[in-house]
Amino acid sequence: MSQEPVETTFTEPGADEDVMVEVRDLRTYYGGDSMFGGPPVKAVDGVSFDIKRGETLGLVGESGCGKTTLGRTLVQLESATGGEVLFDGTDVTELSGKQLKQWRRNSQIVFQDPDSSLNDRMTVGEIVREPLDVHDVGTPRERRQQVRELLDTVGLQREHYYRYPHQFSGGQRQRIGIARTLTLEPDFIVLDEPVSALDVSVQAEVINLLEDLQEEFGLTYLFIAHDLSVVRHICDRVAVMYLGNIMELGPTEELFADPANPYTHSLLSAIPEPDPTSDSDRITLYGTPPNPRHPPSGCPFSTRCPVRIRPDEFAHLDDELWTAINTLREVLRERERADRTTTDRIRELLGRESRFGTIDGIYEEVFGDVTVPPEVEEPLDEAADHVRAGDEASALEVLFEAFGAVCEAEAPDYYTVGDTDRESFCHRHGDEYRSPAEVLDERHG
Amino acid sequence: MSYDYDDDRTLRERIEANPRPALVWLAGLAVLLALELGRVARAIVYIGSLTRGFLGGAAGVPGTVADNVAGSLGGAAGIVGAAITALLLLAVAAVLIKWLFVPVSLVNRLGLDTGEGRDEIIERGLITVALAVVAALVVFTPVGAALEAAIGWLTDALESAGTIQTLTQRDTIPNQGYRTPGGGWEGTFLGLSPAVAWAIRVFVIYAYSFVVAAWLWKGYEVFREHYREADWTPRDDSINRFRTHYWGIFGLAMVFAFVVMAIFAPSLGPVTAEANLYSPYEYEFQYLEGGELQTVTQGDANLASRSQGGSDNVGPLSYDQYDRWHPAGTNQDGKDLFTFLMYGARTSLVIGLTSIGLATAIASALSMITAYYKGLVDVLTVVASDTIISIPAFLLILLLNVLFAEADHPIMDIYNGGFLLALILAGVYWPGLWRSIRGPSLQVASEEWVDAAKSYGQSPGMTMRKHMSPYILTYIMIYASLMLGAVIIVTAALSFLGLGISPPTPEWGRAVSEGRQYISGSSWHISTIPGIMIVFVVTGFNALGDGIRDAIDPESEAGDASADAAATGGGA
Ligand code: SF4
Repeated sequence: MSQEPVETTFTEPGADEDVMVEVRDLRTYYGGDSMFGGPPVKAVDGVSFDIKRGETLGLVGESGCGKTTLGRTLVQLESATGGEVLFDGTDVTELSGKQLKQWRRNSQIVFQDPDSSLNDRMTVGEIVREPLDVHDVGTPRERRQQVRELLDTVGLQREHYYRYPHQFSGGQRQRIGIARTLTLEPDFIVLDEPVSALDVSVQAEVINLLEDLQEEFGLTYLFIAHDLSVVRHICDRVAVMYLGNIMELGPTEELFADPANPYTHSLLSAIPEPDPTSDSDRITLYGTPPNPRHPPSGCPFSTRCPVRIRPDEFAHLDDELWTAINTLREVLRERERADRTTTDRIRELLGRESRFGTIDGIYEEVFGDVTVPPEVEEPLDEAADHVRAGDEASALEVLFEAFGAVCEAEAPDYYTVGDTDRESFCHRHGDEYRSPAEVLDERHG
Repeated sequence: MSYDYDDDRTLRERIEANPRPALVWLAGLAVLLALELGRVARAIVYIGSLTRGFLGGAAGVPGTVADNVAGSLGGAAGIVGAAITALLLLAVAAVLIKWLFVPVSLVNRLGLDTGEGRDEIIERGLITVALAVVAALVVFTPVGAALEAAIGWLTDALESAGTIQTLTQRDTIPNQGYRTPGGGWEGTFLGLSPAVAWAIRVFVIYAYSFVVAAWLWKGYEVFREHYREADWTPRDDSINRFRTHYWGIFGLAMVFAFVVMAIFAPSLGPVTAEANLYSPYEYEFQYLEGGELQTVTQGDANLASRSQGGSDNVGPLSYDQYDRWHPAGTNQDGKDLFTFLMYGARTSLVIGLTSIGLATAIASALSMITAYYKGLVDVLTVVASDTIISIPAFLLILLLNVLFAEADHPIMDIYNGGFLLALILAGVYWPGLWRSIRGPSLQVASEEWVDAAKSYGQSPGMTMRKHMSPYILTYIMIYASLMLGAVIIVTAALSFLGLGISPPTPEWGRAVSEGRQYISGSSWHISTIPGIMIVFVVTGFNALGDGIRDAIDPESEAGDASADAAATGGGA
């Protein structure tokens, strides 16, 4: 395994690789500019990747990881906070007005929920024809003909032109949605979980249709999904996203067979294993994904990572104690962010219990049935003092000093892993650390 | 391929292919219209004169500006000012015309692509220039005179058509006449008694209105059955649901009765408002007294037919001593209460429609804009509407009304203060309407089809019109019809307090107010009858609102409807 950090976070395309979309350090934040203040939600927090012409790039991750926002930003339904999206060399985040409208013909999106994506007061014909009307393509009669042909193409009937969406099943409605995206003959289509709202029985049909259409029209797809088996079936390459960052990106088969990033490991372990003899256990992640308004410092996965790098002096502590320490830090982070009402403050001043509970109660809860060695006890007590003084920030600081390591201190680099140019976003690919797989085996084996 | 053309025909081609049902329907419509040709012609002339008045007013604006500016800055500045004002007016007109009548992009057609997103401005500029050319032609060349002549000729033709007698006109079935010494009646329809003649006329009017309404509905059904391409639309379900909603149908019937009252007010009363209410001393009539015909003015007769309790009373369904028929009795001034009520319906309807129409327009436009753009517009609208809502509505209306009345503002003169009242009501009620449809608007704005429209470059204006307004309008219809009831009550309440619409314009609330001192005596009818009518009309509008809500509420029958629909769609 090559273990060299990659200088740039992306690879320059080779001469034979026809890159269509280049995404560079793209960020999409919500609500940062609101007049009510508060930090923005960092839905997409600096991602870079290429999409090659004619390929299907999968984008997977838990819900809320920012994959849908990323897809919507690519088709300019959300405006990027920073970074670039280059389509054939043009930065589309800079486009506006006429040029933007013109560019929109090239990139379309299929939405997840066919109930919500079709205006049910319009006939199927009107729905599919609208893009043509907007761009003033041909005569009305030609438009109607084109729409009928498209209905044919996506497996509906020409006579469905005057039907209403209500009259169709979910799978048929999604076909209508697909027909609409095809009207302007785009090159690039974002498929935002196109089958996850459908019955399992029709999912395969729609997937096959999408594959056929790709073949027929030479389309390039960004396929957003949380169903990994579908992704494995349809995608050429996969990007794994967590909390606004791409954790690992590489060719589908290789990534599935030999995941490099700890997050990819845990994501894949959630799929039921077809091979019962496999020795890999299900990795249970503790906690919930952090609030994207307050992403952790360092590696985005550091609050939940099963193989997080630990400081050398505490290397001998057992996993149970680490889990407890993690939980404590999580609780303190929550407390730090929570709004205290005036009553809460007064109660605290008077030494009464506020709804947040006392720190002793928390310690009891968290460390109740684990043995805490003295060298761990010491920073914990110091942190407790800070919390009693109402200063969670300093308490967290103390805990970070004691138990934090590189994972929480600095963001990792992208390392090229595997034989093809697969990239993974983790410190453990550096020479000085053991690889994620090795540690996983040890801690969870 | 042939089928390409079979399944793709315009409405005209579809009608040409099967003209019979359409022709039958059109023939029926023509007969119905012919019966009322005179009335229709008069209505057109009236609307035409209103439009002309409005255009004339707008055309006068540059001149006024020129005079004002020239007064303070000198002649040349005046001309410049006039030119600028004229251009501004034309530009506003251009925006309207583009929006209403020009569906295609001129810029694209003419190949004037600037690629800078200035299309809209160029587009409007082009239309403004075209308008300016037309305006110049009309003003400075013989074209104007020719146009004037053509309009004059048309007006004449319509006016002469307007004199044609119609079925529902008073003269067709006259009820005013005098008793002959022989015991019969002279001057009434077929010599019948005024009461019977009047009853026949009322019946004919309602029968005619009902037939017209039914025929229009029939037209929709003909279209639906023979010419509509979709064999099912979501609206069909709503209509079916409404059909079995008896409370809603009751509301519709009430509203229908009320609207007919307002439209046919001049024909429904036993006497015209002009003769009996407005200028009673200028109209004379004959009656039989002591075996001899006497002539008296309406005014003098009114003095003797007052209902003021006790023995001074002309109650409902009775004749007064001059043999005038009073279906609802007379009021305390001896005027015919029924006539008063019919014209009062007209007043209420005009005020209700104007104010709610305006409020609806403001509320729906704002709701779409705030739901689509959110952010600052939304905050500002919330602040504005909260400010208005925080003041008790009735108090605010009173306040504004008194304010304008005291200031003797010229706007008070339009429709005896009715127009001002309508404006005030609109200003006070739009926040409530906006609030009521805010939820649905935000919901529809977050539908993915709105995003989809954006993703293929649909403009925000069109997105609001095509993808948001159909949903919002059905909701606003519910609240608007509920609020129409409220407006009628408020108008009546204001009149009750002696504000709002000043006499002599009839208003139900004023009748209630003026009659209330006689309520316990023999002249109970002056307050009671209009009071009951207010209750019925307001209930009617509420019931209609309920009916519409239940008809469009997808919850009511969603289950089996969508299952059926899916089956039809899947089977094809
Ligand atoms: S950098 Fe550290 S926390 Fe992040 S994935 Fe790698 S090991 Fe886990």
